[in-house]
Amino acid sequence: MADRKLQLTLNGQPVVTEVVPDDLAMLDYLHEYQNLTGSRLGCGQGICHACVVIVDNPDGTCEEVRTCITGAHYFEGKKVRTIEGHAQLDDAGNPVALSPIQQKFVERFAFQCSYCAPGFVNAATVLVENAQRKPLKKSELEGAIEASLGHHVCRCTGYVRYYEATRDVLGDLGLVKEG
Amino acid sequence: MTRVFSNLALAIGAVFAFAAQAADQQVIKRGEYLARAADCMACHTAEGGAPYAGGLPIHSPFGTIYGTNITPDKQHGIGNYSDDEFFAALTEGKRKDGANLYPAMPYTSYHLIKREDADAIHAYLQSIAPINRAAPTTDLSFPFNVRTGLMGWNLLYGKSVQVQPAAGNSEAWQRGQYMVEVLGHCGECHTPRNLIGALEQDKRLSGGVLNGYLAPSLLAKDLAERGWTQPDLATFLKHGMSAQGSMFNEMYPVVHHSTQHLEDGDLSAMATYLLGDQPPAARVVQAVAHETMTASSQRGRQQYLNVCAGCHGADGEGKPHIAVAMKGNTILRQADSRNLVKVVLDGIREQQFTGFERMQPMPGFAGKLDDQQLTDMVNYLREAWGGLPGDLSTEQLAQLKVD
Ligand code: FES
Ligand code: FES
Repeated sequence: MADRKLQLTLNGQPVVTEVVPDDLAMLDYLHEYQNLTGSRLGCGQGICHACVVIVDNPDGTCEEVRTCITGAHYFEGKKVRTIEGHAQLDDAGNPVALSPIQQKFVERFAFQCSYCAPGFVNAATVLVENAQRKPLKKSELEGAIEASLGHHVCRCTGYVRYYEATRDVLGDLGLVKEG
Repeated sequence: MTRVFSNLALAIGAVFAFAAQAADQQVIKRGEYLARAADCMACHTAEGGAPYAGGLPIHSPFGTIYGTNITPDKQHGIGNYSDDEFFAALTEGKRKDGANLYPAMPYTSYHLIKREDADAIHAYLQSIAPINRAAPTTDLSFPFNVRTGLMGWNLLYGKSVQVQPAAGNSEAWQRGQYMVEVLGHCGECHTPRNLIGALEQDKRLSGGVLNGYLAPSLLAKDLAERGWTQPDLATFLKHGMSAQGSMFNEMYPVVHHSTQHLEDGDLSAMATYLLGDQPPAARVVQAVAHETMTASSQRGRQQYLNVCAGCHGADGEGKPHIAVAMKGNTILRQADSRNLVKVVLDGIREQQFTGFERMQPMPGFAGKLDDQQLTDMVNYLREAWGGLPGDLSTEQLAQLKVD
Protein backbone atom coordinates (compact mmCIF):
# COMPACT_ATOMS: atom_id res chain seq x y z
CA MET A 1 0.00 0.00 0.00
CA ALA A 2 1.21 3.44 -0.80
CA ASP A 3 -0.04 6.92 -0.13
CA ARG A 4 -0.21 9.74 -2.58
CA LYS A 5 -1.42 13.28 -2.87
CA LEU A 6 -4.90 13.97 -4.17
CA GLN A 7 -6.08 17.21 -5.76
CA LEU A 8 -9.56 17.84 -6.99
CA THR A 9 -12.36 20.37 -7.00
CA LEU A 10 -15.04 19.62 -4.46
CA ASN A 11 -18.29 21.56 -4.62
CA GLY A 12 -16.49 24.38 -6.39
CA GLN A 13 -13.55 24.54 -3.96
CA PRO A 14 -10.07 23.35 -4.89
CA VAL A 15 -8.97 20.72 -2.40
CA VAL A 16 -5.54 19.22 -1.82
CA THR A 17 -4.96 16.30 0.54
CA GLU A 18 -1.33 15.39 0.91
CA VAL A 19 -1.67 11.83 2.11
CA VAL A 20 -4.38 9.58 0.74
CA PRO A 21 -3.96 5.78 0.64
CA ASP A 22 -3.84 4.58 -2.95
CA ASP A 23 -6.70 2.14 -2.43
CA LEU A 24 -9.07 4.39 -0.47
CA ALA A 25 -12.64 4.41 -1.78
CA MET A 26 -13.96 7.85 -2.71
CA LEU A 27 -16.87 7.42 -0.31
CA ASP A 28 -14.44 6.96 2.59
CA TYR A 29 -12.44 9.93 1.41
CA LEU A 30 -15.54 12.13 1.44
CA HIS A 31 -16.65 10.88 4.85
CA GLU A 32 -13.34 10.62 6.65
CA TYR A 33 -11.12 13.23 5.05
CA GLN A 34 -13.62 15.90 4.02
CA ASN A 35 -16.34 15.43 6.61
CA LEU A 36 -18.88 15.33 3.79
CA THR A 37 -21.08 12.62 5.20
CA GLY A 38 -24.15 13.18 3.02
CA SER A 39 -23.18 10.59 0.39
CA ARG A 40 -24.60 7.32 1.62
CA LEU A 41 -23.13 3.87 1.82
CA GLY A 42 -25.88 1.45 0.85
CA CYS A 43 -24.77 -1.77 -0.73
CA GLY A 44 -21.10 -0.89 -1.06
CA GLN A 45 -20.94 -2.90 -4.24
CA GLY A 46 -22.16 -0.68 -7.01
CA ILE A 47 -25.83 -1.63 -7.12
CA CYS A 48 -28.00 0.79 -5.12
CA HIS A 49 -26.44 4.09 -6.28
CA ALA A 50 -27.01 5.76 -2.90
CA CYS A 51 -23.36 6.83 -2.97
CA VAL A 52 -23.20 8.63 -6.33
CA VAL A 53 -21.60 12.03 -6.78
CA ILE A 54 -21.66 14.30 -9.82
CA VAL A 55 -18.56 14.72 -11.96
CA ASP A 56 -18.45 17.76 -14.26
CA ASN A 57 -16.69 16.83 -17.47
CA PRO A 58 -14.46 19.23 -19.42
CA ASP A 59 -16.91 19.11 -22.36
CA GLY A 60 -19.63 20.67 -20.23
CA THR A 61 -21.62 17.51 -19.63
CA CYS A 62 -21.90 15.91 -16.24
CA GLU A 63 -22.38 12.36 -15.00
CA GLU A 64 -22.93 10.41 -11.83
CA VAL A 65 -20.18 8.16 -10.48
CA ARG A 66 -20.50 5.56 -7.72
CA THR A 67 -18.11 6.36 -4.90
CA CYS A 68 -18.32 3.03 -3.07
CA ILE A 69 -16.59 1.14 -5.87
CA THR A 70 -14.44 3.94 -7.23
CA GLY A 71 -11.13 4.90 -5.67
CA ALA A 72 -10.51 8.44 -4.46
CA HIS A 73 -7.58 8.82 -6.86
CA TYR A 74 -9.86 8.25 -9.85
CA PHE A 75 -11.09 11.78 -9.12
CA GLU A 76 -7.63 13.32 -9.36
CA GLY A 77 -8.00 16.65 -11.15
CA LYS A 78 -11.76 16.19 -11.60
CA LYS A 79 -14.61 18.50 -10.62
CA VAL A 80 -16.87 16.74 -8.15
CA ARG A 81 -20.16 17.77 -6.62
CA THR A 82 -21.73 16.01 -3.65
CA ILE A 83 -25.18 16.34 -2.10
CA GLU A 84 -23.75 19.10 0.11
CA GLY A 85 -23.14 21.22 -2.98
CA HIS A 86 -26.73 21.71 -4.19
CA ALA A 87 -28.48 24.13 -1.84
CA GLN A 88 -27.61 27.82 -1.67
CA LEU A 89 -25.92 28.65 1.61
CA ASP A 90 -25.65 31.89 3.54
CA ASP A 91 -22.35 33.19 4.83
CA ALA A 92 -22.69 31.09 7.95
CA GLY A 93 -23.05 27.99 5.81
CA ASN A 94 -26.75 27.45 6.50
CA PRO A 95 -28.99 26.49 3.59
CA VAL A 96 -31.22 29.31 2.39
CA ALA A 97 -32.66 27.83 -0.81
CA LEU A 98 -32.87 24.31 -2.12
CA SER A 99 -32.06 23.39 -5.70
CA PRO A 100 -35.11 22.91 -7.97
CA ILE A 101 -34.80 19.12 -7.74
CA GLN A 102 -34.40 19.15 -3.96
CA GLN A 103 -37.33 21.52 -3.60
CA LYS A 104 -39.60 19.41 -5.78
CA PHE A 105 -38.61 16.17 -4.04
CA VAL A 106 -39.71 17.79 -0.75
CA GLU A 107 -42.96 19.12 -2.19
CA ARG A 108 -43.78 15.76 -3.71
CA PHE A 109 -42.87 13.83 -0.53
CA ALA A 110 -40.61 11.76 -2.75
CA PHE A 111 -38.50 10.30 0.03
CA GLN A 112 -39.39 8.92 3.44
CA CYS A 113 -36.36 7.72 5.37
CA SER A 114 -34.20 9.67 2.86
CA TYR A 115 -31.39 7.15 2.78
CA CYS A 116 -31.47 7.01 -1.01
CA ALA A 117 -32.21 10.71 -1.49
CA PRO A 118 -28.65 12.02 -2.04
CA GLY A 119 -28.24 9.54 -4.87
CA PHE A 120 -31.58 10.44 -6.42
CA VAL A 121 -30.91 14.18 -6.10
CA ASN A 122 -27.57 13.82 -7.86
CA ALA A 123 -28.96 11.58 -10.61
CA ALA A 124 -31.97 13.81 -11.29
CA THR A 125 -29.74 16.90 -11.26
CA VAL A 126 -27.49 15.31 -13.88
CA LEU A 127 -30.56 14.68 -16.02
CA VAL A 128 -31.83 18.23 -15.63
CA GLU A 129 -28.45 19.84 -16.31
CA ASN A 130 -27.79 17.72 -19.36
CA ALA A 131 -31.29 18.62 -20.59
CA GLN A 132 -30.37 22.27 -20.14
CA ARG A 133 -27.63 21.75 -22.70
CA LYS A 134 -29.78 19.58 -24.96
CA PRO A 135 -33.53 19.73 -24.29
CA LEU A 136 -35.47 16.47 -24.34
CA LYS A 137 -38.21 15.62 -26.79
CA LYS A 138 -41.50 14.75 -25.19
CA SER A 139 -41.29 11.28 -26.67
CA GLU A 140 -37.89 10.74 -25.01
CA LEU A 141 -38.93 12.00 -21.60
CA GLU A 142 -39.98 8.79 -19.86
CA GLY A 143 -37.08 6.84 -21.27
CA ALA A 144 -34.64 9.52 -20.15
CA ILE A 145 -36.01 9.54 -16.61
CA GLU A 146 -35.87 5.75 -16.47
CA ALA A 147 -32.32 5.75 -17.79
CA SER A 148 -31.27 8.27 -15.13
CA LEU A 149 -33.16 7.03 -12.07
CA GLY A 150 -34.05 3.45 -12.95
CA HIS A 151 -30.98 1.89 -11.37
CA HIS A 152 -31.33 3.81 -8.10
CA VAL A 153 -32.79 1.73 -5.30
CA CYS A 154 -35.27 3.18 -2.79
CA ARG A 155 -36.31 0.67 -0.14
CA CYS A 156 -39.14 2.96 0.95
CA THR A 157 -40.32 2.62 -2.66
CA GLY A 158 -40.64 6.31 -3.41
CA TYR A 159 -40.05 5.68 -7.10
CA VAL A 160 -43.32 7.07 -8.48
CA ARG A 161 -42.91 10.34 -6.61
CA TYR A 162 -39.27 10.69 -7.55
CA TYR A 163 -40.25 10.24 -11.17
CA GLU A 164 -43.17 12.68 -10.92
CA ALA A 165 -41.03 15.32 -9.26
CA THR A 166 -38.29 14.96 -11.87
CA ARG A 167 -40.87 15.20 -14.67
CA ASP A 168 -42.26 18.36 -13.04
CA VAL A 169 -38.88 20.06 -12.79
CA LEU A 170 -38.00 19.27 -16.39
CA GLY A 171 -41.38 20.66 -17.49
CA ASP A 172 -41.23 23.75 -15.23
CA LEU A 173 -37.81 24.67 -16.55
CA GLY A 174 -39.04 24.32 -20.14
CA LEU A 175 -36.65 21.50 -20.94
CA VAL A 176 -39.18 19.27 -22.70
CA LYS A 177 -39.93 20.11 -26.32
CA GLU A 178 -42.74 18.84 -28.51
CA GLY A 179 -41.84 15.85 -30.63
CA MET B 1 -63.28 -69.93 -21.76
CA THR B 2 -63.11 -67.77 -24.88
CA ARG B 3 -63.93 -64.83 -22.73
CA VAL B 4 -61.04 -65.59 -20.42
CA PHE B 5 -58.69 -65.71 -23.40
CA SER B 6 -59.93 -62.52 -24.89
CA ASN B 7 -59.58 -60.77 -21.53
CA LEU B 8 -56.08 -62.11 -21.26
CA ALA B 9 -55.26 -60.91 -24.76
CA LEU B 10 -56.59 -57.47 -23.88
CA ALA B 11 -54.53 -57.39 -20.72
CA ILE B 12 -51.37 -58.42 -22.57
CA GLY B 13 -52.10 -55.83 -25.24
CA ALA B 14 -52.41 -53.19 -22.56
CA VAL B 15 -49.10 -54.22 -21.01
CA PHE B 16 -47.40 -53.95 -24.40
CA ALA B 17 -48.98 -50.59 -25.09
CA PHE B 18 -47.87 -49.42 -21.67
CA ALA B 19 -44.36 -50.75 -22.23
CA ALA B 20 -44.19 -49.05 -25.64
CA GLN B 21 -45.34 -45.80 -24.10
CA ALA B 22 -42.73 -46.10 -21.36
CA ALA B 23 -40.09 -46.79 -24.01
CA ASP B 24 -41.27 -43.71 -25.92
CA GLN B 25 -40.99 -41.69 -22.74
CA GLN B 26 -37.47 -42.95 -22.28
CA VAL B 27 -36.50 -41.97 -25.82
CA ILE B 28 -38.03 -38.55 -25.30
CA LYS B 29 -36.09 -38.10 -22.06
CA ARG B 30 -32.89 -39.12 -23.78
CA GLY B 31 -33.70 -36.76 -26.64
CA GLU B 32 -34.21 -33.92 -24.19
CA TYR B 33 -30.79 -34.58 -22.69
CA LEU B 34 -29.17 -34.79 -26.12
CA ALA B 35 -30.86 -31.56 -27.20
CA ARG B 36 -29.28 -29.94 -24.13
CA ALA B 37 -25.89 -31.41 -25.03
CA ALA B 38 -26.28 -30.13 -28.60
CA ASP B 39 -27.43 -26.76 -27.19
CA CYS B 40 -30.28 -26.42 -29.68
CA MET B 41 -31.94 -23.93 -27.38
CA ALA B 42 -29.24 -21.27 -27.48
CA CYS B 43 -30.00 -20.39 -31.11
CA HIS B 44 -33.57 -21.61 -31.45
CA THR B 45 -34.96 -19.57 -28.54
CA ALA B 46 -35.16 -15.79 -28.51
CA GLU B 47 -34.33 -14.00 -25.28
CA GLY B 48 -37.48 -14.27 -23.18
CA GLY B 49 -39.23 -16.20 -25.95
CA ALA B 50 -40.96 -19.58 -25.94
CA PRO B 51 -38.52 -22.50 -25.86
CA TYR B 52 -37.41 -23.63 -29.32
CA ALA B 53 -39.77 -21.21 -31.09
CA GLY B 54 -36.85 -19.47 -32.80
CA GLY B 55 -36.19 -15.79 -33.28
CA LEU B 56 -32.73 -15.35 -31.81
CA PRO B 57 -30.69 -13.10 -34.10
CA ILE B 58 -27.31 -14.60 -34.91
CA HIS B 59 -24.99 -11.93 -36.19
CA SER B 60 -22.51 -13.03 -38.81
CA PRO B 61 -20.15 -11.08 -41.06
CA PHE B 62 -22.62 -11.81 -43.88
CA GLY B 63 -25.74 -10.50 -42.18
CA THR B 64 -28.22 -11.57 -39.54
CA ILE B 65 -29.52 -15.11 -39.44
CA TYR B 66 -32.47 -15.95 -37.22
CA GLY B 67 -32.82 -19.20 -35.30
CA THR B 68 -35.84 -21.03 -36.69
CA ASN B 69 -38.92 -22.38 -34.94
CA ILE B 70 -38.25 -26.07 -34.20
CA THR B 71 -41.37 -26.75 -32.17
CA PRO B 72 -43.77 -29.32 -33.69
CA ASP B 73 -46.00 -26.61 -35.14
CA LYS B 74 -47.01 -27.75 -38.63
CA GLN B 75 -47.09 -24.30 -40.18
CA HIS B 76 -44.01 -22.58 -38.77
CA GLY B 77 -42.17 -25.35 -37.00
CA ILE B 78 -41.00 -28.82 -37.91
CA GLY B 79 -44.25 -30.68 -37.21
CA ASN B 80 -44.25 -32.16 -40.72
CA TYR B 81 -40.72 -33.52 -40.63
CA SER B 82 -40.17 -37.28 -40.72
CA ASP B 83 -37.23 -38.78 -38.84
CA ASP B 84 -35.33 -38.97 -42.14
CA GLU B 85 -36.03 -35.34 -42.97
CA PHE B 86 -35.01 -34.26 -39.48
CA PHE B 87 -31.80 -36.26 -39.81
CA ALA B 88 -31.04 -34.60 -43.15
CA ALA B 89 -31.61 -31.15 -41.65
CA LEU B 90 -29.36 -31.95 -38.70
CA THR B 91 -26.52 -33.60 -40.56
CA GLU B 92 -26.61 -32.08 -44.05
CA GLY B 93 -28.29 -28.74 -43.49
CA LYS B 94 -31.18 -29.70 -45.81
CA ARG B 95 -34.62 -28.28 -45.19
CA LYS B 96 -37.69 -30.45 -45.82
CA ASP B 97 -38.33 -28.51 -49.03
CA GLY B 98 -34.79 -29.25 -50.18
CA ALA B 99 -33.42 -25.76 -49.59
CA ASN B 100 -30.07 -25.39 -47.90
CA LEU B 101 -29.89 -24.16 -44.33
CA TYR B 102 -27.24 -21.57 -43.57
CA PRO B 103 -24.25 -23.06 -41.79
CA ALA B 104 -25.09 -21.05 -38.70
CA MET B 105 -26.82 -24.39 -38.18
CA PRO B 106 -23.76 -26.41 -37.18
CA TYR B 107 -24.37 -29.38 -39.46
CA THR B 108 -20.65 -29.22 -40.16
CA SER B 109 -20.31 -30.74 -36.68
CA TYR B 110 -23.66 -32.52 -36.40
CA HIS B 111 -23.01 -34.59 -39.51
CA LEU B 112 -21.39 -37.10 -37.16
CA ILE B 113 -24.42 -37.39 -34.87
CA LYS B 114 -25.46 -40.99 -34.37
CA ARG B 115 -28.74 -41.80 -36.07
CA GLU B 116 -30.39 -43.03 -32.86
CA ASP B 117 -29.39 -39.80 -31.12
CA ALA B 118 -30.88 -37.70 -33.91
CA ASP B 119 -34.10 -39.72 -33.72
CA ALA B 120 -34.26 -39.23 -29.97
CA ILE B 121 -33.81 -35.46 -30.32
CA HIS B 122 -36.54 -35.48 -32.94
CA ALA B 123 -38.86 -37.49 -30.67
CA TYR B 124 -38.25 -34.97 -27.90
CA LEU B 125 -38.88 -31.94 -30.13
CA GLN B 126 -42.12 -33.54 -31.36
CA SER B 127 -43.25 -33.90 -27.73
CA ILE B 128 -42.97 -30.23 -26.76
CA ALA B 129 -45.68 -27.60 -27.13
CA PRO B 130 -46.10 -26.39 -30.73
CA ILE B 131 -45.77 -22.64 -31.08
CA ASN B 132 -47.62 -21.15 -34.02
CA ARG B 133 -45.30 -18.26 -34.69
CA ALA B 134 -42.97 -17.51 -37.55
CA ALA B 135 -39.38 -16.60 -36.71
CA PRO B 136 -38.14 -13.38 -38.37
CA THR B 137 -36.77 -13.85 -41.86
CA THR B 138 -33.05 -14.12 -42.22
CA ASP B 139 -31.54 -11.09 -43.83
CA LEU B 140 -28.25 -11.61 -45.63
CA SER B 141 -26.55 -9.51 -48.24
CA PHE B 142 -25.99 -10.73 -51.81
CA PRO B 143 -24.64 -13.26 -52.71
CA PHE B 144 -25.09 -14.92 -49.34
CA ASN B 145 -28.86 -14.59 -49.59
CA VAL B 146 -28.93 -17.13 -52.43
CA ARG B 147 -29.28 -20.45 -50.69
CA THR B 148 -28.34 -22.50 -53.74
CA GLY B 149 -24.94 -20.86 -53.54
CA LEU B 150 -24.36 -23.07 -50.53
CA MET B 151 -24.16 -26.20 -52.66
CA GLY B 152 -20.51 -25.65 -53.47
CA TRP B 153 -19.77 -24.53 -49.92
CA ASN B 154 -21.36 -27.71 -48.61
CA LEU B 155 -19.35 -29.89 -50.97
CA LEU B 156 -16.17 -28.30 -49.70
CA TYR B 157 -16.94 -27.76 -46.06
CA GLY B 158 -20.24 -29.47 -45.16
CA LYS B 159 -18.51 -32.32 -43.42
CA SER B 160 -15.51 -30.38 -42.26
CA VAL B 161 -15.41 -31.56 -38.66
CA GLN B 162 -13.84 -34.99 -38.44
CA VAL B 163 -13.15 -36.95 -35.30
CA GLN B 164 -9.84 -38.50 -34.44
CA PRO B 165 -9.49 -42.29 -34.25
CA ALA B 166 -10.50 -43.71 -30.90
CA ALA B 167 -7.58 -46.11 -30.77
CA GLY B 168 -5.33 -45.70 -27.77
CA ASN B 169 -7.67 -43.32 -25.99
CA SER B 170 -9.82 -44.03 -22.94
CA GLU B 171 -13.56 -44.50 -23.10
CA ALA B 172 -14.03 -41.17 -21.35
CA TRP B 173 -11.87 -39.49 -24.00
CA GLN B 174 -13.99 -41.03 -26.77
CA ARG B 175 -17.24 -39.99 -25.14
CA GLY B 176 -15.75 -36.55 -24.57
CA GLN B 177 -14.81 -36.26 -28.21
CA TYR B 178 -18.40 -36.94 -29.25
CA MET B 179 -19.72 -34.47 -26.67
CA VAL B 180 -17.23 -31.72 -27.59
CA GLU B 181 -16.79 -32.10 -31.34
CA VAL B 182 -20.19 -33.35 -32.44
CA LEU B 183 -23.01 -32.60 -30.00
CA GLY B 184 -21.43 -29.62 -28.24
CA HIS B 185 -20.11 -28.31 -31.56
CA CYS B 186 -17.51 -26.33 -29.58
CA GLY B 187 -15.33 -26.00 -32.66
CA GLU B 188 -17.94 -23.86 -34.41
CA CYS B 189 -16.73 -20.94 -32.30
CA HIS B 190 -13.36 -22.09 -30.99
CA THR B 191 -11.94 -22.82 -34.46
CA PRO B 192 -10.99 -19.90 -36.72
CA ARG B 193 -12.97 -19.40 -39.93
CA ASN B 194 -11.74 -18.42 -43.36
CA LEU B 195 -13.05 -15.55 -45.47
CA ILE B 196 -16.12 -17.43 -46.60
CA GLY B 197 -17.00 -18.53 -43.12
CA ALA B 198 -15.69 -22.09 -43.22
CA LEU B 199 -13.82 -23.65 -40.32
CA GLU B 200 -10.06 -23.86 -40.83
CA GLN B 201 -9.57 -27.48 -39.97
CA ASP B 202 -5.82 -27.32 -39.73
CA LYS B 203 -6.27 -24.85 -36.88
CA ARG B 204 -8.89 -26.92 -35.14
CA LEU B 205 -9.93 -25.62 -31.68
CA SER B 206 -7.06 -23.17 -31.65
CA GLY B 207 -9.41 -20.24 -31.05
CA GLY B 208 -11.66 -18.08 -33.21
CA VAL B 209 -12.90 -14.51 -33.11
CA LEU B 210 -16.61 -14.03 -32.76
CA ASN B 211 -18.25 -10.59 -32.75
CA GLY B 212 -15.06 -8.99 -31.55
CA TYR B 213 -14.40 -11.46 -28.74
CA LEU B 214 -11.98 -14.35 -28.80
CA ALA B 215 -13.34 -17.85 -28.27
CA PRO B 216 -10.02 -18.95 -26.85
CA SER B 217 -7.94 -21.93 -27.84
CA LEU B 218 -9.09 -25.22 -26.36
CA LEU B 219 -5.91 -27.06 -27.25
CA ALA B 220 -4.56 -28.96 -24.25
CA LYS B 221 -1.27 -27.09 -24.10
CA ASP B 222 -3.02 -23.72 -24.23
CA LEU B 223 -5.60 -24.69 -21.61
CA ALA B 224 -2.82 -25.84 -19.28
CA GLU B 225 -0.89 -22.65 -19.96
CA ARG B 226 -3.96 -20.71 -18.82
CA GLY B 227 -4.23 -22.73 -15.63
CA TRP B 228 -6.85 -25.33 -16.47
CA THR B 229 -7.05 -28.78 -14.91
CA GLN B 230 -9.63 -31.43 -15.78
CA PRO B 231 -11.63 -31.04 -12.53
CA ASP B 232 -11.68 -27.25 -12.91
CA LEU B 233 -12.82 -27.50 -16.50
CA ALA B 234 -15.64 -29.86 -15.54
CA THR B 235 -16.66 -27.52 -12.70
CA PHE B 236 -16.59 -24.57 -15.08
CA LEU B 237 -18.92 -26.36 -17.49
CA LYS B 238 -21.24 -27.46 -14.69
CA HIS B 239 -21.49 -24.16 -12.80
CA GLY B 240 -20.28 -21.53 -15.26
CA MET B 241 -17.61 -20.64 -12.70
CA SER B 242 -14.44 -22.02 -11.28
CA ALA B 243 -11.22 -20.70 -9.80
CA GLN B 244 -10.42 -19.48 -13.33
CA GLY B 245 -13.36 -17.06 -13.44
CA SER B 246 -16.90 -17.05 -14.77
CA MET B 247 -18.47 -17.52 -18.18
CA PHE B 248 -19.49 -14.38 -20.01
CA ASN B 249 -20.32 -13.19 -23.49
CA GLU B 250 -21.26 -16.05 -25.85
CA MET B 251 -20.36 -18.75 -23.30
CA TYR B 252 -22.90 -17.52 -20.78
CA PRO B 253 -25.92 -18.89 -22.68
CA VAL B 254 -24.00 -22.12 -23.18
CA VAL B 255 -23.82 -22.88 -19.46
CA HIS B 256 -27.33 -21.60 -19.05
CA HIS B 257 -29.02 -23.72 -21.70
CA SER B 258 -26.64 -26.59 -22.06
CA THR B 259 -23.68 -27.60 -19.93
CA GLN B 260 -25.20 -27.10 -16.48
CA HIS B 261 -27.77 -29.75 -17.40
CA LEU B 262 -25.23 -32.38 -18.36
CA GLU B 263 -24.28 -35.37 -16.24
CA ASP B 264 -21.06 -35.17 -14.28
CA GLY B 265 -19.68 -38.16 -16.18
CA ASP B 266 -20.17 -36.39 -19.50
CA LEU B 267 -18.64 -33.17 -18.23
CA SER B 268 -15.56 -34.89 -16.97
CA ALA B 269 -15.40 -36.80 -20.28
CA MET B 270 -15.36 -33.45 -22.08
CA ALA B 271 -12.56 -32.25 -19.83
CA THR B 272 -10.70 -35.50 -20.43
CA TYR B 273 -11.00 -35.11 -24.17
CA LEU B 274 -9.90 -31.47 -24.15
CA LEU B 275 -6.90 -31.91 -21.86
CA GLY B 276 -6.12 -35.45 -23.00
CA ASP B 277 -5.77 -38.74 -21.13
CA GLN B 278 -2.36 -37.52 -19.96
CA PRO B 279 -3.10 -33.85 -19.25
CA PRO B 280 -0.23 -31.38 -19.25
CA ALA B 281 0.42 -29.76 -15.85
CA ALA B 282 -1.46 -26.53 -15.33
CA ARG B 283 0.92 -23.59 -15.18
CA VAL B 284 1.10 -21.78 -11.87
CA VAL B 285 1.64 -18.04 -12.09
CA GLN B 286 4.36 -16.70 -9.81
CA ALA B 287 3.80 -13.41 -8.02
CA VAL B 288 5.71 -10.52 -9.57
CA ALA B 289 7.23 -7.78 -7.41
CA HIS B 290 5.78 -4.36 -8.21
CA GLU B 291 9.24 -2.83 -8.74
CA THR B 292 10.11 -5.34 -11.43
CA MET B 293 7.03 -4.60 -13.53
CA THR B 294 7.14 -2.41 -16.63
CA ALA B 295 6.58 1.30 -16.10
CA SER B 296 3.20 0.95 -17.76
CA SER B 297 2.13 -1.84 -15.40
CA GLN B 298 3.35 0.10 -12.39
CA ARG B 299 1.16 3.04 -13.41
CA GLY B 300 -1.63 0.59 -14.17
CA ARG B 301 -1.79 -0.52 -10.55
CA GLN B 302 -3.29 2.85 -9.62
CA GLN B 303 -5.85 2.58 -12.43
CA TYR B 304 -6.72 -0.86 -11.13
CA LEU B 305 -7.16 0.47 -7.59
CA ASN B 306 -9.25 3.35 -8.92
CA VAL B 307 -11.85 1.45 -10.90
CA CYS B 308 -11.49 -2.32 -10.36
CA ALA B 309 -10.41 -2.95 -6.79
CA GLY B 310 -13.75 -1.85 -5.32
CA CYS B 311 -15.16 -5.20 -6.46
CA HIS B 312 -12.21 -7.35 -7.51
CA GLY B 313 -10.18 -6.53 -4.37
CA ALA B 314 -6.94 -4.61 -3.97
CA ASP B 315 -5.04 -7.88 -4.17
CA GLY B 316 -7.18 -9.36 -6.91
CA GLU B 317 -8.92 -11.67 -4.47
CA GLY B 318 -12.43 -10.88 -5.74
CA LYS B 319 -15.60 -10.74 -3.63
CA PRO B 320 -17.81 -13.80 -3.32
CA HIS B 321 -21.10 -13.43 -5.22
CA ILE B 322 -20.10 -9.97 -6.46
CA ALA B 323 -17.05 -10.16 -8.68
CA VAL B 324 -14.62 -12.92 -9.60
CA ALA B 325 -11.01 -12.98 -8.46
CA MET B 326 -8.37 -11.62 -10.78
CA LYS B 327 -5.77 -13.85 -9.19
CA GLY B 328 -5.92 -17.04 -11.23
CA ASN B 329 -8.36 -15.60 -13.75
CA THR B 330 -7.97 -17.21 -17.14
CA ILE B 331 -8.76 -14.12 -19.26
CA LEU B 332 -5.72 -12.34 -17.88
CA ARG B 333 -3.67 -15.29 -19.01
CA GLN B 334 -4.60 -15.13 -22.69
CA ALA B 335 -1.53 -13.88 -24.52
CA ASP B 336 -3.87 -11.98 -26.85
CA SER B 337 -5.40 -9.22 -24.69
CA ARG B 338 -8.47 -8.93 -26.86
CA ASN B 339 -11.00 -10.28 -24.36
CA LEU B 340 -9.50 -8.41 -21.45
CA VAL B 341 -9.70 -5.14 -23.35
CA LYS B 342 -13.23 -5.82 -24.63
CA VAL B 343 -14.57 -6.79 -21.26
CA VAL B 344 -13.08 -3.71 -19.62
CA LEU B 345 -14.68 -1.54 -22.31
CA ASP B 346 -18.06 -3.27 -22.54
CA GLY B 347 -18.60 -4.55 -19.00
CA ILE B 348 -20.70 -7.64 -18.28
CA ARG B 349 -24.37 -7.88 -17.54
CA GLU B 350 -25.55 -9.22 -14.20
CA GLN B 351 -25.30 -12.99 -14.33
CA GLN B 352 -26.99 -15.88 -12.60
CA PHE B 353 -25.25 -19.17 -12.20
CA THR B 354 -26.28 -22.47 -10.69
CA GLY B 355 -27.87 -22.58 -7.24
CA PHE B 356 -27.90 -19.18 -5.61
CA GLU B 357 -24.69 -18.04 -7.25
CA ARG B 358 -24.81 -14.60 -8.83
CA MET B 359 -22.32 -12.11 -10.16
CA GLN B 360 -23.15 -8.44 -10.20
CA PRO B 361 -23.01 -6.39 -13.37
CA MET B 362 -19.60 -5.08 -14.26
CA PRO B 363 -19.63 -1.50 -15.57
CA GLY B 364 -17.95 -0.86 -18.92
CA PHE B 365 -15.21 1.74 -18.98
CA ALA B 366 -15.41 2.85 -22.60
CA GLY B 367 -15.07 6.62 -22.51
CA LYS B 368 -14.18 6.65 -18.81
CA LEU B 369 -10.47 5.96 -19.15
CA ASP B 370 -8.20 7.18 -21.94
CA ASP B 371 -6.09 4.83 -24.03
CA GLN B 372 -2.98 5.31 -21.91
CA GLN B 373 -4.87 4.57 -18.70
CA LEU B 374 -6.52 1.51 -20.25
CA THR B 375 -3.24 0.21 -21.61
CA ASP B 376 -1.54 0.65 -18.24
CA MET B 377 -4.34 -1.13 -16.46
CA VAL B 378 -4.37 -4.05 -18.87
CA ASN B 379 -0.60 -4.35 -18.59
CA TYR B 380 -0.85 -4.42 -14.81
CA LEU B 381 -3.46 -7.18 -14.94
CA ARG B 382 -1.37 -9.20 -17.37
CA GLU B 383 1.75 -8.89 -15.33
CA ALA B 384 0.36 -9.10 -11.80
CA TRP B 385 -1.84 -12.15 -12.24
CA GLY B 386 -1.57 -13.30 -15.82
CA GLY B 387 2.04 -14.47 -15.90
CA LEU B 388 2.42 -12.38 -19.06
CA PRO B 389 4.62 -9.43 -19.95
CA GLY B 390 3.14 -5.97 -19.47
CA ASP B 391 4.03 -4.98 -22.99
CA LEU B 392 0.77 -3.97 -24.65
CA SER B 393 1.19 -0.67 -26.48
CA THR B 394 -1.39 2.06 -26.78
CA GLU B 395 -1.41 1.44 -30.55
CA GLN B 396 -2.26 -2.22 -30.03
CA LEU B 397 -4.95 -1.25 -27.57
CA ALA B 398 -6.42 1.28 -30.01
CA GLN B 399 -6.51 -1.45 -32.66
CA LEU B 400 -8.27 -3.89 -30.33
CA LYS B 401 -10.84 -1.23 -29.52
CA VAL B 402 -11.99 -0.93 -33.10
CA ASP B 403 -11.62 -4.59 -34.09
S1 FES C 1 -23.39 2.16 -1.98
FE1 FES C 1 -22.52 2.60 -3.88
S2 FES C 1 -23.87 1.69 -5.23
FE2 FES C 1 -24.68 1.06 -3.33
S1 FES D 1 -36.60 7.07 1.04
FE1 FES D 1 -35.99 5.40 2.24
S2 FES D 1 -34.74 4.35 0.85
FE2 FES D 1 -35.59 5.81 -0.40
